[in-house]
Formats: sequence, structure tokens, C-alpha cells
Amino acid sequence: MTENKNPYLPDLATVIKVIDETPNIKSYQVILNDPEKMKMFSYEPGQVGQLSVFGVGESTFVINSPPTRMDYLQFSVMRVGEVTSVIHELHEGDQIGVRAPLGNWFPYEDMKGKKILFIGGGIGLAPLRTLILFMLDNRADYGDITILYGSRTPPDLCYKDDLKEWESRSDVSLILTVDTEYPGWDKRTGFVPTVLNEIAPSPEDTIAITCGPPIMIKFVLQNLAKLNFKDENIITTLEARMKCGIGICGRCNIGSKYICKDGPVFSLAQLKEYRAEI
Amino acid sequence: MISQRLREAIAGVFSEVDVALAYQQGFDKLHATPCFMTMPEEINKLIWNPLCVHNLTSYLPSLKKKKVAVVVKGCDSRTIVQFMQEGLINRENVVIIGIPCNGVISVNKVLHETNHEPIEDITFGENGEITVKTLKGEKTLLLSDVCPDKCKTCQYPTPIVYDRLVGDPITSDKSPDSVYADIKEFENKTLEERLQYWEQEFDRCIRCYACRNACPMCICQDSCIAETRDPHWISQRATLSEKFMFHMIHALHLAGRCVECGECERACPMGIPVNKLKRKINLDMKELFGYEPGIDPEDKPPLYTFKVDEVTIKEHKI
Amino acid sequence: MADTGFVQKEKLNDFLNELSKDAVVYAPCLEGDTVIFKAFDSGTTLCLDRPANNPPKLVVFPQSETLFSFKYKKDAEDPRKMSVELEANTDFPRAIIFGARPCDAKGFRIYDSVYIDTNTPDPYYKGRREKTMIATLCCSAPSPGCFCVAVGGGPAHREGSDVLITQLEKGYFIEPVTEKGRAILNVPRIEDGEQYAEEAHKRQLESHDLVRNPFAEDGQPKISRALFDLDEFWEHVVSKCLSCGACTYLCPTCYCFNITDEQALNNGERIRSWDGCMFSHFTLEGSGHNPRPTKFKRFKNRVGHKFLYYPEKYNGVIACCGCGRCIRHCPVSVDISEIVSYLRGPRFEFTNEPPESMGTDTNSQEQKQ
Repeated sequence: MTENKNPYLPDLATVIKVIDETPNIKSYQVILNDPEKMKMFSYEPGQVGQLSVFGVGESTFVINSPPTRMDYLQFSVMRVGEVTSVIHELHEGDQIGVRAPLGNWFPYEDMKGKKILFIGGGIGLAPLRTLILFMLDNRADYGDITILYGSRTPPDLCYKDDLKEWESRSDVSLILTVDTEYPGWDKRTGFVPTVLNEIAPSPEDTIAITCGPPIMIKFVLQNLAKLNFKDENIITTLEARMKCGIGICGRCNIGSKYICKDGPVFSLAQLKEYRAEI
Repeated sequence: MISQRLREAIAGVFSEVDVALAYQQGFDKLHATPCFMTMPEEINKLIWNPLCVHNLTSYLPSLKKKKVAVVVKGCDSRTIVQFMQEGLINRENVVIIGIPCNGVISVNKVLHETNHEPIEDITFGENGEITVKTLKGEKTLLLSDVCPDKCKTCQYPTPIVYDRLVGDPITSDKSPDSVYADIKEFENKTLEERLQYWEQEFDRCIRCYACRNACPMCICQDSCIAETRDPHWISQRATLSEKFMFHMIHALHLAGRCVECGECERACPMGIPVNKLKRKINLDMKELFGYEPGIDPEDKPPLYTFKVDEVTIKEHKI
Repeated sequence: MADTGFVQKEKLNDFLNELSKDAVVYAPCLEGDTVIFKAFDSGTTLCLDRPANNPPKLVVFPQSETLFSFKYKKDAEDPRKMSVELEANTDFPRAIIFGARPCDAKGFRIYDSVYIDTNTPDPYYKGRREKTMIATLCCSAPSPGCFCVAVGGGPAHREGSDVLITQLEKGYFIEPVTEKGRAILNVPRIEDGEQYAEEAHKRQLESHDLVRNPFAEDGQPKISRALFDLDEFWEHVVSKCLSCGACTYLCPTCYCFNITDEQALNNGERIRSWDGCMFSHFTLEGSGHNPRPTKFKRFKNRVGHKFLYYPEKYNGVIACCGCGRCIRHCPVSVDISEIVSYLRGPRFEFTNEPPESMGTDTNSQEQKQ
């Protein structure tokens, strides 16, 4: 952000591709209109951006494409409110604003040499995706990679192409689950926290990274504790209503920490220190 | 003494309720403040005097699922009647402790009389005289001079509905014609004068919504037009037109519902006479439908109902 | 050049007119019985007798302001395509706040840490702040609810002020505090203040002991974390709160805001406007989830922000300047100083057990508030 003196002024950007992920989630690949800025753009896995539809407003999304693949920035948007509904109307070539990168990122340096356990639910796979792809692009730096991902029904699974690829890779272990039986679904059923208990991963030398709906996160954290994962080895990313994105406007704080600036990535140890209510 | 009898009345019903709403001393001698009592020991904190200005019934809809005892003055009781008309409370969950009232004070008027000096002490005499002590000395005021305007023309000094009455009923000695005298006088001003008046007043609005949140009859909650973007009728700009629009909509939503408790105006930190708009509309409602809000629990607000032939409205013959 | 100045009482309006010549002068003016900060001109009635109902924060942090404007343009080649142009203005006119109180001036210092002393300074706040001179009037007596001395301030506290003004029998003693403030001594109609200095400095000390200190001997209230985290405590002390924004909008240190787009056809503006943590929609997310769903949680955040979170971030500085406006103007007299004095713990004596009947059902409380 250093070169942009006005932190509220977005960079203009163009939507170059829209992908239908699920019935209510779409992914948008965007590039900044200024080629120089696009070339210089740098970020870390886990950082977020504010997307603007001028006239409607801004909303925060993680940049879910990894910094190792810089052809475009990808954001995934679930239709829930005013801004996201309008974003869902966007087509290729439409103009938007981007304020990015904002916030902190996954401590991937500290994860080198460790086994990595990703636990995601629904659109919560988005922040994990950026780190998964980043790690796959630097595969030798990390130990075993396990991905546990679930959604309500099979059509609600995001990034189906990625899932297919991860499933076929021998250096990734992918476990998929949906909440209940579904015609044509021959894989696991059950909620993500329950499946986590069933697969019972070892906490040995392992970092767990989780993101999903608040209720899922709550039980995943409980179950990881039961599996003897240490608080500092559990990483999650939080969401909140954000406006400024630079730690001023006062919405997204947990005590003295602002999710938009000090987060969105926190270890469970940190969250406990901040007395977050999870 | 009424305070003591009030404490006894509340103690008498305390076991039947989850919470009792009454008044206690506020941050200084000039202010009472609402208290939510849940433990019998707290009853001793209770006070009753002309500082007890708040309309405590405003809290009732938010406590709908609880058994509540509430202290009400005559004016406040009209809110309860209106709540009953609109189904906003469960009457059987509310124990109404009524107090006949000779008028309360307007904090702002007392401060005006004492040049806004901090009040060291205030005492109330038998006949409406109020002795106020500040660092600069003592001053005696008359309740009739420093009461809110609503008290000057009060028609209902005794609560209209109550379960217990503390004190003897009082009959109003104020002329019913006096109630809207100020509004009628204001109506005589020219359109330009009135517009200029309101523009100057509303320009001070900081959009804090104290008027709305203090209003017992404001029920839109999170969907208030002032903040929602669905529909997006009012912007967040602090311009006169946006402020005006909010207050007009507030007033219109209260047409035939406003019980004129004056909480909106009392709550305003910027001294805007917001109740005047609502009273003007109430006057229209009275003239059009012969209806006065908050008097008869069996009645319905005129704009909640539809009659093919409104008895009070002469339609043009076609 | 003299080090201090003096303006005769009867020449104050002339003096302000001189000041108005190359800056917009905001001063406390009387409207009805309300004192508000507004741009001074010949039609306004100055009122320096008591603190204004609103603080002067609006001069540097307006109730609403434009962050930038946007304009959609049709592509000449392909009318289905639109391009967007953005335009931001961060150049602001010179302003003078005349007659702020020491608490008001201190409020700007609370803002500065958040808005300026960061790696992403806010160009709107910073732009206005740098162009604004703050001339503060010392308080000769406390107003109802004031408690500045309990939070490190005082009736003649200098922090945040560029100029300190002391009201004397014959007029106003004027004393620059910062380099920026020295400019005021160049204004015509100002006399040398030296002969009044002694009287003024004596006067400045007089009212200090009259201000109440609800935190007793503590210069800085120490909050009991155990009590602060107890839901029952908040349910006990803020049941009467109406969840309006009077306290936050009248607070010289409350700086939360909203950003919204306001559009008219193909043109519009992204604006910033005051917002407050007491409103339930403040943290309400698009999904319907609300991390602070009750007024108890919101009030806890407001007190926490001022007395715990901000101090944690900024060297122990309390984000409350003790002006008392939130107490004075609260429709139901919620008293933050009383709440904080309880919070010093170690335990708040509930009259007996915590009021569970009120504590369990916060959702129904939520229906209205």
C-alpha cells in the first residue's frame, strides 16, 4: 500500500473471467487496469482485498489465487448481502475497484518442514486454497499435506477442478464430506468436525489450518484440542464486517486487535490471549 | 410519603415479576435515572419526585417475554394503552404501578434558569415550589414554570390503566382546548416562516437517533429507513434534506400512534423540538378521525384500519 | 514579538472577524438554548459560558464527507461497456477552532494516534488537522458530569491545543502553546498580554479541585479484567441504555465511521459518515451474523475501547477525555464514569447474586434495542 497514498482510493480493475463455483458462489478473476501496478503487485497468501462496485459499496474477500500464480487475482464471492448480490451480476469486462493487499498472512515460513492439515467448510476453502496452491508450488518445503473439506451438498463444494486435481495427486491426501446422503455421492457424509474425529490426525509435527462457518470453526477447534493439537499449532482466519480495511473504523475488533489489519489470520493461542469469543 | 408507598407497592408485587422498572437518583442531583430492579434489596434505591421524567414503558416491548412491574405516570400510561392496541406487549405480563402526577420538571428549563451551573441540591415543596442550589447560591422556581410543555396542558394526570394506584387520583384542571393551542398558533405562520424554522432546527441534528430509540412507538428496529439500504431512500450524508427526510418519516410513522410522551424531544441532545411535528400530525388525526392515541385499549389506530365510510370524513359526491 | 496576547471582552467579536479573514472560524454559538460549534459569522451569537453540546471534532472529522467521487462513462466503441473515473480531493481550507475546551483539544490527540501516526495515515483527517489551529478556552468551572481530572486532563490542560485562552474580568488572555499557535499573536486587535499573565495563570489553577474524580486517587483507573469479562456485570449496569448514538456522536474521542456509496444515475460519491458502536447494525454482517448482538456486548466494547483496548495499543493513554457529554446528554443518564469506577473491582458487589433472570435472555432484550 505504500505507493498508494490514499488508502481509501481503490485501484481500478477489470473482471477477466467469472466462474460459477456453486449455486450461490462465483469466483472472479481480475486484473488491475494499470499494467505497471499489476506487474508490481505483490502480496502474501492469506491477505485480503476490498472489492468495490462503485455506487453500491465495498466488501472484503481473500485473494484466493496464490502469489506464485500472478496472471490475475481471484476472489470468490458468496451472495449474501447488497454488495455481493451486485457482484454476482458482474460479467467479463466489467469495471470494479480493488484495495489490496490488506491484513496479515499465513505464517508459511514457520510451517516449513511440518505436516499440514487443512480443514475447510463451504466457502471457507477460499483462504485455504491460496495457501494450498502456494504450498503445492513449493511442494518440497512442506511435509504431508492433508485436506479435509466439506459442504452441505456436493453442488456446494467450491473449486471442483482443484479438488479433482488434488484427489489425483499422490502427494496430497484429500478427504471430502457432505452433511447428509446425496444422490450420486459415494464419498463420506457427516459434518466436518465429526469427520475430523473419525480420521483422527496425529498432532505430531503438524499445523492445522481451518476456515469455515463460525459454527464449524467452533467445533473443529474443540475437536483439535481433544486430538491434542496445541493452540499455537492451530491457525484460523476470521471474518467480520469491515469498512476501512486499515484498522480505524471500529467494526472488526477483537479487543485491541483489528481483524482487517492485525488479522485475518490468527493462531488459536492468539485468539485466547485476545479473549475472542469463538 | 409517595416514595415510601411506592416502595411498598413494588415490594408487594416483586415476587410476581422478573424485573421492576422504577427510578433512582442519577449522576447528579438534577437527574433521576431508570432502574431495573431484580433483587428486593434494590427497592430501597427507588425514588419518586418531579425528576422522574422518563417514560419507563419504552422498555416494555423489549421485555415482552418477561413479567415486568413498571411505574407509570398518567402520560406514560397512554403508551401502555397504545401498546395494547397494537399488540406490542402482553398485558398479563405487566404489573402497572400507577402514580397520579402533578407534573415533572424539564431538566433543560431548570438548567436554563440556573445558567447551566452544576446543581448542588434540589428540593421540592408541597405547592410546586422548587429550591435549587448551585455554587452561586439558591434560587426558587415554580414547577409550573419549569415543567415540560406537555404538563402545562395535561389531561390525564391519573394513569388510564393501572393495577395498583399509589396516591389519590387527580382530575385535570386544564382546558382540553389548550392542548394544541401552540400548534394552532404555529400553523398561523406563513409557509416560508415554518420552513425556515424547521430548517434551522433540523440543521442541528447529528443523526444520533436518540429521538427514535427513546420513542416507545418506534418499532422498525434494524429496518429503520434512516440506516437501511434496502430500500436506499436516505443517504448517510449529513445534509439538511436527509435529516429533514428522516424526521418527516419518523413523524408520519407515528400518525395516530404518538402518545405525546415527549421522550423524543427530551432525548434530543441538540435541543430540537421534534415532538412538535408529531403533535401537528396528531392534531390532524384528531380533526380527521376524531381519534386520540393511547386512550382506549379496545380502539385501533385509524391508519391501522379501513372503513368504507369514515364517519368524520366527508367525501366529495361524484 | 510578545509571548502572549490579550483581547478586551468587548473586542472579541472584532477579533474573531479578523481571524475569519483567512480561515473558517468555528466557535461555540447559541441556538435557542443549545450551544453548538459552527462557522462563526456576524449573524451568530457566541456562547463561551459553558461547553458546547457537541464537541468541535466535526471540524476535522465532519459528520459526513466525500472520500472520492466516481463517474461511469459509456465506451464509445461498445455501449455495453462502462469505464469508471475516480476523483479524490484531500486539499482543505484553513480552519480555526475557537473556544474548544481542554477536553475537546485532548480528544484530537486520541484521534491523531489512530489517524496520523500509522503506516496508512488518513489523508482526509490529516489534511484537515494540519490546516486547523485549535484555540482552547480554559474552564473556569466544571459542568454537570465532567471528570477530566480523573483521566489525565484538567480545566487548563494543554495537550492538543495550539493556543490556550483564559477568561479574565476584562477579557481574554491568549497564550500560544505550539508554533502553529504563535500565529495568533499576529492578528490585529490583539494587545500584549504580559501584564495579565500572572492573573491568568492563577485563574487556570482555580477550578481544578472543583472537578469531580470518580476514580478517587487513581490517576488512571485500573480495570478488573475478571469483572470486565463478566456478562452479568454489563447486564446489571446498562439495562437502561437505549442503544442510541448520542454518547458516541457527542464524544470528542469516538472516531468510528461508516463508508457508503451514494449514487445518482452514473455519478456518485463514496462518503464517510459518523457511525457508532452502540448501534446494532454497526457490526451486523451480510450473512445476518452479528458478533456484538446485544447492547450489553456493544456497551462493553465501548468502555473496553476507551479504557482497555486503546491504552493497550497506545502507551496506556485512555481514550476518554472526561468531558462528561455522554453523561449529561444521555437520555437515560447512563454514567460511564460510574461504570468504570465499578470496574476497578476487584469485585462488583451485586446486591446479592447476579441477576440471572435478566442475564439469560438477551435476545428478547434485543427485539427493540
